[in-house]
Amino acid sequence: MVVALSALLAPWLSPHDPLEQDVLLRLASPTADFPLGNDSFGRDILSRILWGGRVSLYVSTVAVLVAIVVGGALGILAGYIGGLFDRIVMAAMDVLLSLPTLVMGLLVVAMLGPTVGNLILAITLTAIAPFARIARAPTLTVKERDFVEAGRALGFSNVRLMVVHILPNVVDDILVMAALWLATAIRTEASLSFIGLGVRPPTATWGGMIREGFENILDTPWLAIYPSLAILVVMFGLNMLGDGLRDTSDPRLRHE
Amino acid sequence: MLTYIVKRLLVAVPTLLAVLTVVFFFVRIAPGDPAFIILGDQASQQAIAAVHQELGLDRPMLVQYLDFMSTVLRGDLGMSLVTHRPIWSEVANVLPYTIELTLTALVIGVVLGLPLGIAAARHRNEALDYAARVFSLLGLSFPAFVSAIMLLLAFAIELHWFPVISEARPGDPLSRVSALVLPAINLGLIMVAYVMRVARSSMLGVLGEDYIRTARSKGVPARVVIWRHALGNALIPVVTVVGLYLGVLIGNSVLTEIVFNRPGLGKLIVNSLNQRDYTMLEGLMVIYAFIIVIVNLLTDLTYGLIDPRVRQR
Amino acid sequence: MRCFASIAAGFVGALLLWATVPAAAQKVLNVGMAAADLGSLDPHRTATTPDKAIIGWMFNGLVRFKPGTMNPETIEPDLAQSWDTSADQLTWTFHLRKGVQCNNGYGELSADDVVFSLKRASDPKISSFSSDYADVTAIDAPDAATVRITFKRRPPSVLGILTNYQGGNIVCRKAVEKLGDDFRTKAVGTGPFAIESYTPNQSITLVANKNYFRGAPKIDRIVYRYIPSDATRDLAFTSGEIDLIYGRQDQTWAERMKSLPHTVVDVFGPGELSDINLNITKKPLDDLRVRQAIAYAVNRAELVKFKGPLTAREAVSIIPHDYLGTDEHAPLYPYDPAKAKQLLADAGYGNGLKLTMIQTSLPSMLNTMQIVQAQLKKVGIDLQLEVVDHPTFHAQIRKDLSMMVLYAAARLPVADVYLTQFFHSRSIVGAPTAVTNFSHCSVADQEIDGARQTTDVTKQKALWIEAQDKLTKEVCAVPLYEQLQVWAHRDKLNFGYKLDASLTLGPITNEQSTLQ
Repeated sequence: MVVALSALLAPWLSPHDPLEQDVLLRLASPTADFPLGNDSFGRDILSRILWGGRVSLYVSTVAVLVAIVVGGALGILAGYIGGLFDRIVMAAMDVLLSLPTLVMGLLVVAMLGPTVGNLILAITLTAIAPFARIARAPTLTVKERDFVEAGRALGFSNVRLMVVHILPNVVDDILVMAALWLATAIRTEASLSFIGLGVRPPTATWGGMIREGFENILDTPWLAIYPSLAILVVMFGLNMLGDGLRDTSDPRLRHE
Repeated sequence: MLTYIVKRLLVAVPTLLAVLTVVFFFVRIAPGDPAFIILGDQASQQAIAAVHQELGLDRPMLVQYLDFMSTVLRGDLGMSLVTHRPIWSEVANVLPYTIELTLTALVIGVVLGLPLGIAAARHRNEALDYAARVFSLLGLSFPAFVSAIMLLLAFAIELHWFPVISEARPGDPLSRVSALVLPAINLGLIMVAYVMRVARSSMLGVLGEDYIRTARSKGVPARVVIWRHALGNALIPVVTVVGLYLGVLIGNSVLTEIVFNRPGLGKLIVNSLNQRDYTMLEGLMVIYAFIIVIVNLLTDLTYGLIDPRVRQR
Repeated sequence: MRCFASIAAGFVGALLLWATVPAAAQKVLNVGMAAADLGSLDPHRTATTPDKAIIGWMFNGLVRFKPGTMNPETIEPDLAQSWDTSADQLTWTFHLRKGVQCNNGYGELSADDVVFSLKRASDPKISSFSSDYADVTAIDAPDAATVRITFKRRPPSVLGILTNYQGGNIVCRKAVEKLGDDFRTKAVGTGPFAIESYTPNQSITLVANKNYFRGAPKIDRIVYRYIPSDATRDLAFTSGEIDLIYGRQDQTWAERMKSLPHTVVDVFGPGELSDINLNITKKPLDDLRVRQAIAYAVNRAELVKFKGPLTAREAVSIIPHDYLGTDEHAPLYPYDPAKAKQLLADAGYGNGLKLTMIQTSLPSMLNTMQIVQAQLKKVGIDLQLEVVDHPTFHAQIRKDLSMMVLYAAARLPVADVYLTQFFHSRSIVGAPTAVTNFSHCSVADQEIDGARQTTDVTKQKALWIEAQDKLTKEVCAVPLYEQLQVWAHRDKLNFGYKLDASLTLGPITNEQSTLQ
């Protein structure tokens, strides 16, 4: 939460322009003015971490949100409508699922170019299928329950049934999964950056910063360490959030 | 059983063909040109046209596609545009390295992760549990390349236990094993984190079930309860997760292979992307998709082994 | 758990034992290269630095640049012992050294092989360098030890295109014919080292050519390892597993390597000159004032400071330093931001100007452009970089899609080659004879062609200098800096000559090189 907040407030919090370069401060050690030191372009690392967090979180949040909306909708529709539509959707999901996230990311970003948009596209593509699956399963069971049958008998529209009765039953699972996928998305961004396929410089992203940092790991380790720590903190937070959601949604664990 | 397997594989065929089609058009529509990479930046248009003709890239896209599909349907993946060698043999050269890496990591993950997860569940909210949870979160959070470089710094540079470039020499099995150690630990730790997490939570779930409570209240020793009664049921989600995350593992193996400079699918794919080796990319994507299909099949078969009820279905 | 620990301990013990087994008393040079795999060993088709470096150890030309130099004026005999030229300088006859053996048992090299090889290098269907041989009318062998080459007009440097560089590398005919497609990985020449084995994605092993005509090399084997990850390659050098390492072309890397014990950093030519080519046909760059403003806004000294004075030097002209015919004092625009702003205001862009260009994601080139981006911002030019990966970049700039193109290149060190490829109207991208003229400039065509025709060396140099002045004044390109080649080696490796330059972009190891 703190990380998300500070990333959002980056424009006001960061002491320097993240793109401002100063030859004299190349790889300089931390000083009062630049609390975390400077990178190989003489740019302020603290500011870059804050701004980088904005980009990293933006990429992963948008990607996961799109995946939730598209995947969730497809999953509920497939489960509710059933039949041929269900079969087609699920077959398409199988195709998407058959490539590992990072491999899909590599393919999309290497071929189309390393831009924020393509990165989001790559992550979304891999995330849609799991959300579709997770939304479909409860839909299938809920659909058969009495209250839905009753609603249908009362002449409620399909859309209303899906939104009012089915959606709430699916939302818990999706939230748990969303927290974990956010983490995956951030890691994917970092990994692609490491291979050299990250967001276009000079935009700061955590993955890109780690990559630049590793070029100098032996003499100036802090360049790689700070963004790594930032990722670690966020991942930690997201995983904890996921765990927390899971625990509260599982009544047995709550009671114990 | 056998008919089940065959049926599953047959069902996967359309999926694989769909993957191929998508990849085929995707890589060709994307910018970049293999001829240019073969010839270099001083090549004339004439030379580039000659290479296009040689590689068959000057034909209409649909003709290329039909030609490609008919090759594939004959069970052949075609030739690499850059090396002119069959893709099957290129892949077969490196596939064993990726498989041995992934499997070793998987074994490490299960052997260490399962007992740890169970222990954490038994000692819920005690020091051991917290330590295990923090460790697993760390494992989940570290991008694979960060941990890989940390391992190299520690074991190759500081301690000199292993070489940085762990090369497996032909005819020297020991070198192959030593080349495997650090990469496998790197991937294995990630798997330990995943397995432990799921083992813990599913064990907790099972321990809350009535039949376990009954057994316990009857005075059956805790160890017996855990190993004889609870484990079987707790294993099913673990298997699901192992199956699911094997995909993640294969993805992470790309990074691991690059940092440890191991031959494998990861290095091959990065190289083919750089060289715009269209046919090789198509081949690799099919291989990846096929691996995932097989993993899913194995996962389902394992359910059957663990839980007889599933087998009867 | 305890059981596992003891297995692990035993395992580690076994490994330690294995590691202490002494290596054979062979002299093996381990090289670390920044690439994932081999492209091609065929010298007539090698396009990339990782491939070129290894080619330098395997082949000879009819003549060669002295090891460690790239001066066209001191080219010396290699496979040819001597040569004579006709009075009109259009027919050149080379007398071959006798008894030179092709590697890997392909027999003695004859004039037939040389003719075959040069014809192959001129064939656009096979060779990447065919345009270098466009002026050749005939290549034949009057006898087994003589090769005669006839030109329709004299190329700028006859000896230059016959050196151990690109198309001038001589391949053995029988090997090419027998190996076919396999020649790519099993190339055969006459050089000090020959291919022994190739493991895809891992390494190439070269073995000493004991019959090398200048004497058997003192290094027995070279293992050329492909290590794409920078961090891993550096770590492997630190741990002593590789003796010669391809470096990152930057100051930090060079400084760090210098501080390591027993390490020598090699910084050598050719300098790859980075020019920003400006498309003079596209708005707003069609306005000379805008182009001049860009030239005044670029601070070359600051760029070199960023790139590091150890590994980079300021550009002196629109073609690289030290070439035959370079104007070492070309009238480049000095850094003058006030003047740049004034020119922009005059051109009607007083409130700022927005430019976009396609830029490769290759880190070294991207860094450069980021610095220029910041410099241009100070005079009110907002330069947007459309970053794409390297192959895409090359494809798109050749389709004339970018109004500015940052291009870094080194060529045969004769002014004509660079001038023709980058600034002659024949080479304009999109034309059938296109090479790399991204600026669409043609102001110096006359001088470039004139210099080719003349046999008077002084007049030739004067024409080349005039061409550079015209192109500079017209701001067809804004030259930035030259990036030198950076490698590092352990001090137990001695190249055996002074390394000032190497056209193969890697240090040449030959029969004089030693490894303790």
